Amino acid sequence: MPAASLNSVGLSLNDCIKCNVCTSYCPVSQVTDSFPGPKYAAPQSERFRDFGHPFYADGAGPISRTLAAGQMPDASVDYCSGCRVCNEVCPTGVRIAEINARARARIVEARGLSLRNRILGRNELLGRIGSFAPGLANLLLHNPLSRRLAAALFGVAEKAPLPRWRHETLSRWLARTRAQRLRSEQKVVYFHGCATQYYEPFVGIAAILVLEHLGYEVIVPPQNCCGLPMLSNGEFGAAESHHRRNVARLTEFVDAGYPVIGTSTSCTLTLKEEAPELLDLENDAGTRALKFATWDIFEWLRERLDQGRLPSDLRPLHQSDQPFILPYHAPCQLRAHRIGKPALELLARIPGLDLRESHARCCGIAGTYGYKTEKYQIAMDVGAELFDYVAAQSPQSDQDSEGSLSFTACDSETCRWQLEHGTGLPSRHPIELLAAAYGLYDLHARRQANRN
Amino acid sequence: MLDLLVIGAGLTGLFAAYTAARAGLRVRVIARGAGSTHWHAGTIDLLGYLPNGQDAVANWAQALPELPPAHPYRLLGVHAIAQALDEFQRLAAAAGLPYGRAGAATAIDPTTSNPKAERLSQRDGPAEQFDDLNLGQNAGLVSPVGAARPVYLAPAAQQAGILEDDRPLLIVGLDGMPDFYPALIAENLQRQGRPARSASLPLDQLTERCDHGPLHLARLLDRPAAQSKLTEMVVDVAAAGERVGLPAVLGLHDHARLLKKIHRALVTKDPKTSQSQDPHGSVAAVFEIPTLPPSVPGLRLETALRARLDRLGVRVEIGMEACGFHAAGRRIEWIETETGSRPLRHTARNYLLATGGVLGGGIYADRRGRVKETVFDLPLTAPQTRTQWLRPLFLDKRGHPIFQAGVPVDRLFRPLDQSGAPVYDNLQAAGAILAHTDPIRERSREGIAVSTGYAAANAVVHGR
Ligand SMILES: Cc1cc2nc3c(=O)[nH]c(=O)nc-3n(C[C@H](O)[C@H](O)[C@H](O)COP(=O)(O)OP(=O)(O)OC[C@H]3O[C@@H](n4cnc5c(N)ncnc54)[C@H](O)[C@@H]3O)c2cc1C
Ligand code: SF4
Ligand code: SF4
Ligand code: SF4
Repeated sequence: MPAASLNSVGLSLNDCIKCNVCTSYCPVSQVTDSFPGPKYAAPQSERFRDFGHPFYADGAGPISRTLAAGQMPDASVDYCSGCRVCNEVCPTGVRIAEINARARARIVEARGLSLRNRILGRNELLGRIGSFAPGLANLLLHNPLSRRLAAALFGVAEKAPLPRWRHETLSRWLARTRAQRLRSEQKVVYFHGCATQYYEPFVGIAAILVLEHLGYEVIVPPQNCCGLPMLSNGEFGAAESHHRRNVARLTEFVDAGYPVIGTSTSCTLTLKEEAPELLDLENDAGTRALKFATWDIFEWLRERLDQGRLPSDLRPLHQSDQPFILPYHAPCQLRAHRIGKPALELLARIPGLDLRESHARCCGIAGTYGYKTEKYQIAMDVGAELFDYVAAQSPQSDQDSEGSLSFTACDSETCRWQLEHGTGLPSRHPIELLAAAYGLYDLHARRQANRN
Repeated sequence: MLDLLVIGAGLTGLFAAYTAARAGLRVRVIARGAGSTHWHAGTIDLLGYLPNGQDAVANWAQALPELPPAHPYRLLGVHAIAQALDEFQRLAAAAGLPYGRAGAATAIDPTTSNPKAERLSQRDGPAEQFDDLNLGQNAGLVSPVGAARPVYLAPAAQQAGILEDDRPLLIVGLDGMPDFYPALIAENLQRQGRPARSASLPLDQLTERCDHGPLHLARLLDRPAAQSKLTEMVVDVAAAGERVGLPAVLGLHDHARLLKKIHRALVTKDPKTSQSQDPHGSVAAVFEIPTLPPSVPGLRLETALRARLDRLGVRVEIGMEACGFHAAGRRIEWIETETGSRPLRHTARNYLLATGGVLGGGIYADRRGRVKETVFDLPLTAPQTRTQWLRPLFLDKRGHPIFQAGVPVDRLFRPLDQSGAPVYDNLQAAGAILAHTDPIRERSREGIAVSTGYAAANAVVHGR
């Protein structure tokens, strides 16, 4: 773990005024006693942890070195899901979730990492292995017996919504369709992340089709995992090497002034903020340049919209004259970007779309959190607020409402899987909806629309 | 383009946004974090104490002339304040969270609907003048330590807690709930000559959880089974004729039902319970006492306001901290908020600064004693050196000078420069950030928030 300095994360605990607002909102401490809540886990406990701050090093800090030494973060901090709802509502800007992430890293450093968490932290490796023989891999993973085995051996929750490998990764689709890709003077870089590469290449396809529809050539350079799963499981060393590799691979394009656009809100947040801050790389030039070049795809599209440069050929999503009801959940990872909910502004342009914004705090899954046996039920209990919201949007349960409810929308992949698991309705990335409204994409089959 | 961008999601910002949106303006609210509705008691306190007075103010409307001339209430006058309160009551009633004047003859009996609240919620025209003969009359409500809080408007759930009522009080606590001490409350009430006693209920009958913070309890008590169990336990400990005070955790979404249930059970047990002998006639047999933060009545109010804004199509974006702005001459062109990467630009015709005072984050005081308005760096009235910030005694009755620091404004709530001219033509300020008031000391927080938020929003509406 890199030596922590007196950066904004650590010192922000001094701004805590003990108001308990974070505790009122934390969705995890609401449903379980295993986690005492943000205020206790972060700004309160942090004072008793020694992070090797220069602050403490001379023994003149608020806690003597002797007392601080050997103080282990309370293991309950591991129950923080990292959803950042607390950060969002804290009136004084305490970086609660980041303080918790660092405490977790310290536990890992001292006690070692469980095999389960190491596996869950290797989304990319799993993706790559499975995509050699997706059919076999899916068969092996998605059968009740192996799920039970995985639960017993590794503590991977039996019922948690695991994705399926696709027969064609995004890279292979790109290679196959190279001749059809748009060449243009205007270029953008697309960061797909692991989930899009191996499990949901169609989200990447939708993004590329929309960007090309706007007249941009889409560059998809070789890239690796952004490192987030390692960060959230406390493996800071591995996360740093992954991040540095991405910086090295993207620098050439960032220097050329191309925006780096992502559809995975967690990957883009990691590039923008999580990696620089948690890994103390804020002064690394490449990291900084990448931070400022990175965009969430709807954040970038909203700018085109504001400049009046968005094609207006949007059509209704289905033939019926009934409104298309679409509950939209802005994932925690997106809210942590602090860019508002740009997808809402673009989707609102689609004719006949009855867009409904969920105010639920979190779907519960929080990356790999809900995949862990001991946390599966917590994640489902947290998500209940959202699942109930979606159910209430159905015309069957709401007399005043007309239309058809057949999809939900959410920008983050694991949240979509959790939403599907919790509601039984298929869930789509908003870019898939936009691509479909431009007539470029088949929303049901999740592939490029047949041009006719 | 937006007509109004409100910065700050406290009571001031939310109510101002509501006022402007109802008048047809396109409005958005942005804020760094949640507002301090989570910290306050959920009542609308207008003016509890005068800057140098020792005794509670009996009638705030009559006390206004004693405030300094630049005080926001003096800029507004009684009529404008009453109008704002009328609009607030209408909004609250329509949102299913009726407020009434504490101790008013129309006090809310949770068993019957409140005619005034219903009338208010049905009206849909422009605000009418508040027609209460007792306009301005404060009443004392039981505070979390059993002292008297001078309150003006109270939610239905707190109405029966007025001290000017001679029914004996039973203060009921929950074992294991932190920061609520029924024995202390009862003892302090006895010292003031009120017949009071206390009781404590075992929480393990209601829940297996160990965390008994106010919100956890409130969510628990939204459930019918827990409501029945609590009702049973309360009726068990109450003696004939007592009115029962409980911590304000009786539900987040469904507290009215539980109150009604307990009230009915108490009255069934002893019909005399609801017959108050006091002339104000606050008839309920049960009431809530606000707790330390997080405050459930404050949260209910915030939820109600946010739900109304949602229906009016007003987006409230939390997690956005203003970090820069651009002005051309006396017009603000845009402001910027910080994000995980590049700053985000917000453009509107008008801007309303409702970022709270030192405690809300609108005013920042650094170690060297420099005091700064955080978004536009507006001129402030503030003590110049750090040693003048605070008085030696924490609970000094005169309050602390640093909390009086604020933005001076004109009658249209435009911030003023040293020469007394508006700094910008399209910027207003309202709420705890205003100068010449110390809302905590005066017990005027919500009154300042509602009345100045309303007036500033209306200044924008009429100036269009
Ligand atoms: C811990 C605490 C305890 C308190 N306890 C009591 C008490 O017991 N009794 C009492 O009488 N009073 C108490 N108060 C004070 C009282 O709550 C406030 O004075 C009052 O609510 C102010 O209302 P407001 O709407 O003007 O501002 P607030 O409710 O403070 O709202 C300010 C809003 O502006 C936002 N904001 C601030 N800066 C920026 C920025 N740069 N960019 C964007 N948004 C910004 C904030 O996030 C917030 O949403 C307490 C305050 C605190 C902090
Ligand atoms: S990040 Fe989420 S789970 Fe963790 S403390 Fe904050 S609100 Fe709670
Ligand atoms: S919300 Fe922020 S200031 Fe309030 S208790 Fe939590 S960390 Fe502290
Ligand atoms: S956050 Fe993005 S890049 Fe990182 S593991 Fe998830 S999908 Fe991979």
